[in-house]
Amino acid sequence: MNDKVETALVVGGGLAGMEAALKIGQAGYKVVLVEKQPVLGGVLGQLYSSFPRWEDPQALLNNKLEQIKQCPQIMVLTGMLVAAARREANVYCVDLQGTNQGDKRQIKVDAAVLATGFELFDASVYGEYGYGIYPNVVNSLEFEAKLKEWGSGHSQQLPPQSVAFFKCVGSRDRSKGKPYCSKICCMYTAKQAGIVKDMFPEAKAYVFYMDYRAAGKDYEEFTRSVIETKHVRYVRGRPSKVLPENGKLIVRAEDTLMGVPIEVEVDMIVLAAAIIPSAGTKELALMFGAVTDEYGFLEHEIFNPVKAGDRVFFAGACGFAVETQGAQYQGAAAAAEVIGLFNRVEQGGD
Amino acid sequence: MPVDFYKPMRLNEMNSSLQQEIKEACDTDVELCLECGKCTGGCSNAHIFDYTPRKIVQLVKMGAEETLMNMDALWTCVSCQLCVDRCPSQINIPRIMDYMREKAYHQGVKARRSNVQLFHELMLDSIKKTGKVAETPLLIKYNLSTKQYMKDADLGRRMFFKGKLNPFSPRVKDINQVRRLFTRTPVHKEG
Repeated sequence: MNDKVETALVVGGGLAGMEAALKIGQAGYKVVLVEKQPVLGGVLGQLYSSFPRWEDPQALLNNKLEQIKQCPQIMVLTGMLVAAARREANVYCVDLQGTNQGDKRQIKVDAAVLATGFELFDASVYGEYGYGIYPNVVNSLEFEAKLKEWGSGHSQQLPPQSVAFFKCVGSRDRSKGKPYCSKICCMYTAKQAGIVKDMFPEAKAYVFYMDYRAAGKDYEEFTRSVIETKHVRYVRGRPSKVLPENGKLIVRAEDTLMGVPIEVEVDMIVLAAAIIPSAGTKELALMFGAVTDEYGFLEHEIFNPVKAGDRVFFAGACGFAVETQGAQYQGAAAAAEVIGLFNRVEQGGD
Repeated sequence: MPVDFYKPMRLNEMNSSLQQEIKEACDTDVELCLECGKCTGGCSNAHIFDYTPRKIVQLVKMGAEETLMNMDALWTCVSCQLCVDRCPSQINIPRIMDYMREKAYHQGVKARRSNVQLFHELMLDSIKKTGKVAETPLLIKYNLSTKQYMKDADLGRRMFFKGKLNPFSPRVKDINQVRRLFTRTPVHKEG
């Protein structure tokens, strides 16, 4: 067999990007994996635990990092981002730029996988929740960091006596321009509330929900177990006010099952903010001739859910909110497309 | 007493032990509730309840003991068991009703429908004395105590002439066995 000369570019070193790079690399093709942050891992590296099996995300991350290390085909460039990309015949000329110094690099690739992931919607848009005003109102990724601190036992912050979780902060809100469901918040909120009860059995955890969407293998069982065995209290209704009182926070809502207004006093509020594409996704898509939808997520071509354009594929949350398993599926699917394309090129077909 | 609509309930100040108490006493876990409302949908008396079965389960979760003991539904539920029969989580609502009715009775909470409570008492009295529900004396006593002397008199007359009402109080063979049942359970057990 000839030496395989084709090179793929993977933009984004989160779980989806790592998975895509690994699969392409393991198939014998060269891969350049570009990550903006100084380390690989993306959001996966920020998580304390995972659903629906309460697994350690760090173990999954380490597993991937180890495999990447052992795959000589993969060149990892951290602390770099794609500044520009031009199409020349069947090749993309990509300018890479260091995030800190003026480090510059130009590479030629035969295909690209975009895996730039997501970020959380800015919850301070909701003045009534006081995000950015009250220090104990945090978004769900900030809460994962707190869980990590508490879990390590070196936290400066006292354990909470009660925590309220607000779901659909931004999601399913036409007034905020996001009528879509962010899909993973129900599950990670159940997970986070469950961890609170595991870490601090005396603490109270309230989850304010409109409904919980647990469509996935073991997801319903996972959520029910959080309610039934970990005794997280699910309150149906979207909170409407957060008021400070004696150093605590009072949450005002309606219990829509009873039709009565209720209040609850808590130490901390966790906002499950809507999932939006990472900043720059749109610009990146334009460079590669890919299309984004009205929310900025990448659109796929007809008949192919991971293809964004000619020789451009995508995986993970830059397409839409996705859980860890889904990110891996999509990473592998995008890799399969790249491998298939390269095989056809090798055989002189494409 | 219905929930005060102008003063929001504070969840963290409610009786958080009620749920556990019900779990132990009634062997039923309200946390299993899926909030689907199938209990209320099938309930034969929901239209006259102030709190429907689903809401009653919710009140237990909220720890709203006061509301539960004062609610009218406690005395209008006929314990037909349809709610528990239909419940996908097998939450035993009639048993919760029994438990709360007993609790209200022991704590001297007066039912708004005091006649219902009186009827229960007279019926149990009858069973205690004769081992059976002696309908005719029970009806007469009930009408006398509630001062509605001519209530159902016409129906009663017709039933009597058709031989449907026994003017006497028949007794079971061994009344002592029935009495033993009463001594084994504390005071008046309802339902």
